Amino acid sequence: MNCHDLEGMINDLARGQMMDASLRQQALSHAESCACCGMRLAAERSLTTGLRAVAAATAAEQAPMLLETAVLAAFREQHSAKPAPAFVTARFAARRWAYVAVGAAAVAALVMLLSLSASRSRDAQPPVERKAEGTDNAVPVPPRELLAAPRPSPSPAKDDQKLAVIRTPSPVKGTPGRIRNAASQSKRAADKFDESGSDAEIATDFIRLMNRDSLPQSDSGQVVRVELPRSALISYGLPMNMERADERIKADVIVGNDGLARAIRFVR
Amino acid sequence: MSAGAAGLHRQTMTLPMTTSDLDLLRLVVAGDEDAFTMLYRRRQGGVYRFALHMSGSQTVAEDVTQEVFIVLMREAGRFDPNRGSLAAYLYGIARNHVLRRIEQDRLFVQLADSAEDAVGTCAAMIAEGDPLGDLTRNETIQELRHSILVLPAHYREAIVLCELHEMSYVEAASVIGCAVGTVRSRLHRARALLVERVRAARDRNSSSEEVKPARCFA
Repeated sequence: MNCHDLEGMINDLARGQMMDASLRQQALSHAESCACCGMRLAAERSLTTGLRAVAAATAAEQAPMLLETAVLAAFREQHSAKPAPAFVTARFAARRWAYVAVGAAAVAALVMLLSLSASRSRDAQPPVERKAEGTDNAVPVPPRELLAAPRPSPSPAKDDQKLAVIRTPSPVKGTPGRIRNAASQSKRAADKFDESGSDAEIATDFIRLMNRDSLPQSDSGQVVRVELPRSALISYGLPMNMERADERIKADVIVGNDGLARAIRFVR
Repeated sequence: MSAGAAGLHRQTMTLPMTTSDLDLLRLVVAGDEDAFTMLYRRRQGGVYRFALHMSGSQTVAEDVTQEVFIVLMREAGRFDPNRGSLAAYLYGIARNHVLRRIEQDRLFVQLADSAEDAVGTCAAMIAEGDPLGDLTRNETIQELRHSILVLPAHYREAIVLCELHEMSYVEAASVIGCAVGTVRSRLHRARALLVERVRAARDRNSSSEEVKPARCFA
């Protein structure tokens, strides 16, 4: 046994821990023979005595009775109604509001996405559309795209050729007299276009097929629903989706009593 | 014992005193107030003293004790008996709270109230009879307590658990959450530091008590 060996076991020796009896005896013998280790062991024993005195002096220390009352009251409160702890409730409430906010944002984003896609699909349709109240009595509604884009006439006509039929009862009487300028009806037509349902027919303005000068007088006429190739849109100066060129498109044609077509509009 | 305490004592009469901590905890989880009361009374003293030794403040010790049992009643299901005893679990919770409080208190300047608090704690340790012996013993205890409080926290907790609470190395390691060898080495180092501090304090006291001869210039 040397000083280094004793240093390794001096704590257990001073604290009276269980150890090998022969080893303990060797350590004590070395401490008696070595003054330095003897002092060291004495200091450790003194410290152990002091620490035990501290432990004994504080052994009676306890939490005050008020604390016990408070803790038991908290226990009683928790188990009486089984509520969630306050901090848990607050955290869950905050999380619930977060869920609501995220859900509302998702719904708003979905609505915006749908409206955006709907507007894009409207853009892909023929720009001149109008709600038709029926094949027999149509109320021409010029869409907003029509008002913005110039519409070339298939024949060398004047500016007033781009006219709209306000009412076309069947049989149509006095059709030329009921033709008004499309621009003057644009606002009301746009409003009606907005109010139109998805199931109703959408129709363009009536497009004059003959010059006013060459138009023979006719007091009455008929509106005839016909089907035309979609490429007919191009001949009337209307844009056409080339991907759907093979499809057919409906149109209403105003035919006078003399059998001549006066005007045409396209119906969707 | 106050009337409230007597009432609480009557409530715990239904459970035998030999009921183990684990059985009591199961009853606590089920909402048994008697079991919680018995468990509190059985373990509050150790938790309170541990917090008191670690912090040196009665206020902190009370706060920590309350927090420990609030945590126990709310999260009793989290206790895993395979990882250690319930006492070690409670000491572990107390240790975390105490270390947190110590860390917070480092930001503040110690006021006179805290010093009075510590003095009051030591005053409570004074036994009656043999005033001179008590005074000497009380001074020793005060010095030692002060020396423990100025130790670094990881040394302090080793001293408090192994020496003042007489825990084994294994139990202390379970509370601290480290290896047994770490506890041994920390305890060894902490004792060495304490020996040095106590010796230095005694040297200071003895040197101040020495009569220094002064030359008379008269």
